[in-house]
Amino acid sequence: MIDESELKRLLSVAALRGGAAAAAFERVYRLTSPVLLGVALKIVRRRELAEEVLHDAFVKIWRNLDSFDPHGTAIGWMSAIVRNRALDLIESHDMSRVDSYHDTTRSSHLDSIDDNPEASLDRLFDWGSAEGADQSLARKRAAAVLRGCLGELDAPERQSLVLAYEHGLSHGDLAVHLQRPLGTVKTWVRRGMEHLKRCVERCGGAAT
Amino acid sequence: MKLGSHTLLDAICAEYLIGTLKGHARRRFERALREEPLVGLRLRDIERTFTPLPSEAIAVTPSTDGWPRLMRELGLEVERVPWYRRFGLWPSLAAVSAVLALAVAITVLRPEAPRFTDIAQLAGDKAPATVTAALSSDRGLLQLRASQPSTAPSGSSYELWLLPADGSAPRSLGVVGALDARVTVPVTQVSELRRGAKLAVSIEPTGGSPTGAPTGPVILVGEVS
Repeated sequence: MIDESELKRLLSVAALRGGAAAAAFERVYRLTSPVLLGVALKIVRRRELAEEVLHDAFVKIWRNLDSFDPHGTAIGWMSAIVRNRALDLIESHDMSRVDSYHDTTRSSHLDSIDDNPEASLDRLFDWGSAEGADQSLARKRAAAVLRGCLGELDAPERQSLVLAYEHGLSHGDLAVHLQRPLGTVKTWVRRGMEHLKRCVERCGGAAT
Repeated sequence: MKLGSHTLLDAICAEYLIGTLKGHARRRFERALREEPLVGLRLRDIERTFTPLPSEAIAVTPSTDGWPRLMRELGLEVERVPWYRRFGLWPSLAAVSAVLALAVAITVLRPEAPRFTDIAQLAGDKAPATVTAALSSDRGLLQLRASQPSTAPSGSSYELWLLPADGSAPRSLGVVGALDARVTVPVTQVSELRRGAKLAVSIEPTGGSPTGAPTGPVILVGEVS
């Protein structure tokens, strides 16, 4: 379990760049790298590429420790950096070339996606881990509201959002995978986010 | 755009967060994010709506090489040294044993570290360091060692290129943040990585060349021997 308040403390020690910084950052790495490698692997789907994403992301995290906003969650901030690096990688020229070398078309790659949305939802939310003692109530409530609001979406909207987020799928990938026209899928994603935002605001669940 | 009504901007922020904003549009959005405070404000607002935290259920143990490699690239062992200075006595002995302990730790942590053979020396007038490229015994990994630690300037990455011996177009071997790095050699490039081919490093936007060909200055070149 990742202790969010401990993680924030370690990040702030590392940000000071003093004698204790390296040890603190190593601890951050030990605590978070398995789950962050999982995030990368869901998107790039190849172990060696996911390890590269993880490495690059930690380089970026180290260099940008100053820009972490302590109002947010540390693991959320770090996983956004990992996600962005992974998304960059899968759309780079290289990746499509590497894929073609391995004779995997994008659509067969899509076939292997496990898309039980309920299981995906469970993977996207960690009920126990994000709660430091100090802020547990507000944070727990925000997570519960988000989860509840996702549950209220129409199934196709929920499935589109969860698939796109977890696996880094594009609109085109989603259209292939869900076997629906591109325009339909784009609408699901857009409306899904609109409905989600409205629901979260109505429930007052936005984390502050 | 009217103040208080940002429907379009909000929609783009949401696509960015979900990850469906791709390619050129994604990079343009990231530039706007750096330059336009309003974009950052709206993104943070949407983030408050949608920030699932990754679950332990997806955790995968990284390779044991992960931390030592990161430490080398970020130069963290240097920052780790000062503790012994507080003890005053035997500083050099302490340093030696720290280095030994580190060497042992790295050896123990990487019991099956691949063997590397140097295949090229890369140099250039504008480069911060010279670089030795070495290929693993299974030819799957290319390791770069810089004469001194050099990380890419802020907002940019280094990209390693293979210039095939037959003079055909450069092929990217990977994007790295520093000149001490390891890249996986794509299977079909392995055969191109032979005598007469060249390796080169260019400076590219963060994340690598957007076009698939070098776009920034080439700072290092060396022939494969």
